[in-house]
Amino acid sequence: MSAPRIPPATPASTRPASGLPDRLLILSVFVVASCGLAYELIAGALSSYLLGDSVLQFSSIIGCYLFAMGVGSHLSKYVDDRDVLARFIDIELLVGLIGGMSATLLFLLFAWMAAPFRSALYALVFLLGVLVGMEIPLVMRVLHSRQASFSELVSRVLTFDYLGALAVSLLFPLVLAPKLGLSRTGFLFGMANVAVALWTLWYYRREIPRLRSRLTRGALVMAFLAGGLAVSEKLTHWAERGLFGDEVIFATTTPYQRIAVTRWKDDTRLHINGNLQFSSRDEHRYHEALVHPALQTLPWARSVLVLGGGDGLAVREVLRHAQVERVTLVDLDPAMTDLFTRNEYLSGLNGQALSNPRVTVINADAGQWLETHSEVFDLIIADFPDPSSFGLGKLYSVPMYRLMAKHLSARGALVVQSTSPWFAPRSFWCIDATLREAGFHTHPYHAHVPSFGEWGFNLATRQPGYTPPTAYSVPTRYLDAETTRLMFQFPADMQRLPVDPNHLNDQRLVHYFQQDWNNVVR
Amino acid sequence: MERRGFLRASGAAGLGLALPACRGLAHLGIPIHIRQPGLAEGHRLRDAGPLPVPTREIRTGVAILGSGVAGLTAAWRLARDGYDDFLLIDGPEPDGNAAAGRFDSPSGPLPHPRGAHYLPLPSMESRGVRELLFELGVIEAEPFSERPRFSEAALVHAPDERLFFDGAWHEGLLPTEQVNADEAGQHRRFLAEMAALTRRRGSDGRRLFCVPKALSSTDAEWHQLDTLSFRDWLTARAYSAPSLHTWLDYVCRDEYGAGPEHVSAWAGLHYFASRGGHAANAADGTLLTWPEGLAFLARGLRSRVPPARQQPGYALRIDETREGVAILCQNAAGPFLLHARRAICAMPLHVAARVIPHLRDYGFDPARHLPAQAPWLVANFLLDGFPTEPVESPLAWDNVIHGSPGLGWVVSTHQWLRAAKPAHTVFTAYRALADQAPADARQRLLAMRPDELLELAAVDLKQAYGALELWRRTQAVDITVRGHGMAIPGCGSLNDPGLAALQAADGRLLFAHADLSGYSVFEEASWWGERAARLAATR
Repeated sequence: MSAPRIPPATPASTRPASGLPDRLLILSVFVVASCGLAYELIAGALSSYLLGDSVLQFSSIIGCYLFAMGVGSHLSKYVDDRDVLARFIDIELLVGLIGGMSATLLFLLFAWMAAPFRSALYALVFLLGVLVGMEIPLVMRVLHSRQASFSELVSRVLTFDYLGALAVSLLFPLVLAPKLGLSRTGFLFGMANVAVALWTLWYYRREIPRLRSRLTRGALVMAFLAGGLAVSEKLTHWAERGLFGDEVIFATTTPYQRIAVTRWKDDTRLHINGNLQFSSRDEHRYHEALVHPALQTLPWARSVLVLGGGDGLAVREVLRHAQVERVTLVDLDPAMTDLFTRNEYLSGLNGQALSNPRVTVINADAGQWLETHSEVFDLIIADFPDPSSFGLGKLYSVPMYRLMAKHLSARGALVVQSTSPWFAPRSFWCIDATLREAGFHTHPYHAHVPSFGEWGFNLATRQPGYTPPTAYSVPTRYLDAETTRLMFQFPADMQRLPVDPNHLNDQRLVHYFQQDWNNVVR
Repeated sequence: MERRGFLRASGAAGLGLALPACRGLAHLGIPIHIRQPGLAEGHRLRDAGPLPVPTREIRTGVAILGSGVAGLTAAWRLARDGYDDFLLIDGPEPDGNAAAGRFDSPSGPLPHPRGAHYLPLPSMESRGVRELLFELGVIEAEPFSERPRFSEAALVHAPDERLFFDGAWHEGLLPTEQVNADEAGQHRRFLAEMAALTRRRGSDGRRLFCVPKALSSTDAEWHQLDTLSFRDWLTARAYSAPSLHTWLDYVCRDEYGAGPEHVSAWAGLHYFASRGGHAANAADGTLLTWPEGLAFLARGLRSRVPPARQQPGYALRIDETREGVAILCQNAAGPFLLHARRAICAMPLHVAARVIPHLRDYGFDPARHLPAQAPWLVANFLLDGFPTEPVESPLAWDNVIHGSPGLGWVVSTHQWLRAAKPAHTVFTAYRALADQAPADARQRLLAMRPDELLELAAVDLKQAYGALELWRRTQAVDITVRGHGMAIPGCGSLNDPGLAALQAADGRLLFAHADLSGYSVFEEASWWGERAARLAATR
């Protein structure tokens, strides 16, 4: 792995009688090289996992690490010949400590402080690289001062250096990362470094100054790492809870978003960019409310368009209506629809809706797809992320609703997930006003979804006259006649507010949304 | 894609470290395409070589020479009024300052402007412009009312503009919130004074400053402002705030291609006090734009002119004859002689001065009356993904850096209706070469290598994103060099007798170009195009 500097020959003064300690040092080379590569792989894998773009992350981490090793090799020449062994042990302890906790440290840092993460990552990688870069040159100097044949020394050290690298490069992806996870792997290699320090210390105990203090330090670091190994799983879970609240069972970063699925007991949750999309415990409330009040009143509906909603849960509810012949799902991210089509557990949540022959899944930008196609649907369900940015705000604008109107049959309906009328009242009523500005008759309603709180929808039709259903022809867990009646009533503290519609040139909705959520004490 | 970008960035970084003096090398691998529309044709005319002998002759009623906004408007008006005996000769650059280009990116075609990119809400007086916008669906209802209803696709989407001031981005282009109370007070006083001027009318009942300029009040009191530079007017009115001056310097360069010291006070005030347009569905001051810039309007005009009435080619010489006008033209098929009853000279005046040997007979002496013309660069950067922006100040349509020699950049995909940011986009960066005399700046541009032009054009983007991030994202650059980009409305341009003579010309040869107004905007070009078409059709 490393390309060591050739140290200058020093007079052999304190050659021990036995060859054993030297063989031990060579074994140390193997361990040290393994650890060095392991930290590099851990940092690369962790940053790819957290930041995405694995080629970039691995390339930059390896580059930074190798460069730092070069710096370390250079610095090693400033170590006095008399101190070489002691310094080697100190450095082993430091590498063990820093390298051992690197993965856990970075993960905690990412969970609670997103901003300085990259700086911390590269600083840590650089520091580790410098220390690791000093190891092999120091070992070679120790050996060189005890052994005459320089060529044999170089050959032996480098052989074990590269062997160590090979061992870890195979072990890491095949065994360690999948079985132990990054955090525990880190602690394990840290302990290996400390073990090298300790046995070197023990065998050369007569040559090392302040032996007792070093032994104590070594023991402390070892104990700390062992403790870390024991609790690292808990720490990681803490960190993930800091991010998501629960254990992450699946996570991926796509060009569009970061998808994470968490599970705690029987509750599975989907997060996109850290925002909760659904909880398996109560998503039926959200999706029944999204689909059935509209579709129940359209017994003649043959075609349904779902925009967003790549989790397939809205499609699952649509498919309950036997009259629907085709469902078109347009979702931007193929990773999302693939996940909810292929993953056994997640596709179980939507009842394999996305593999249903009545369903066509299209991975395209909803705006572009609507602009370039002319199909007409009897029901359109707009299940987009909340309007938290100017980009997302466009999906809730007058022109977007006019565009949807062109794809809607004359007696058809459009349902829009409309944020929370309780937490974000101006946003909710702004979406209502925007739909009316676009020429729709609106029928706002709300449902209580415990994991979201009070949530809102707008049912929009091109012709006036909509009566909420008083019975459902499909099985429902949440909706019944009485619940439906109450959904369309807004109590005194949730009444319509006088707000402006969301035009593209001012995007009032985005401002309302930001103000609304700033007012919510969370 | 990512890796290529990364390798290029690391390459750029490595070279940047190793060879700080060789800045050209930092662009290694990015294709730079330089366009110099009309340069070769113009310089052949300037160098006055022997004229070719025409091999064929064409006859038409009205010849329109040049297909910038003035020429296209004239052709559209003639066609619309049912007059079909005319021929539009494109000129060396079809669409002129309203031209557009297109990148074919992996995520589809990306049109972008190569010239002007926006239109303010049209004034009540810009009837022709309103009529066109209504025809093209940009105005949806009540085209001639006080407040027409505009298509939201064309109204600039939020966030519309932001300013990089003091190390951070802020909304708007005037940093009133970021300066001390005295400077902020001057900002407010200036804006209030401009608002008052916008409402005022002269003794002739006309607005003091109007678009089109020809309909402005002729009161002598205000016309005197033509003898004073805008900067001197600001000094006389005790506007001393540096932040205000920096902003006005930007505005003047952006609008007129030269700073307030080179622009007349009348022209400086005209920019602020002439914009009286309103919309039923947008705030005053909202702009209209399209991904391809004003080429959207140029294409709309062209699509309403029968293809048989349009021909590529450009005029080499225009002579009046006994029966009309004889125009020697050149196109790919060779030189030809165009006989017309009347001709509309819709080319920039510095070209007309070469093509019409007897221009002085029309009352315009090029040596005395030709306005100074500002050189411009319009640079389009095809980007692989959007550069990182601070969360609190997202990318706007127009992005300007306070105090920079550049004029900022606009985002060609800003008006797209999309759920996610497109994988590729185009940033169009503008720069007027206003830091030296126009003729010297043109010489400098002519001598420059492509990478040097790129350095000039990329000044704002590099400051905003850093060279590493910019070159990592950039996949191609298309730079349009406009040596004679636009007329600068200097002191004396308002009452220039030469311009007045061409404006009033009503013989066999008519003139139509924004140069007649002394500055380059769509509405002025359109106004002169309409006027020439109406005159040409009457006889």
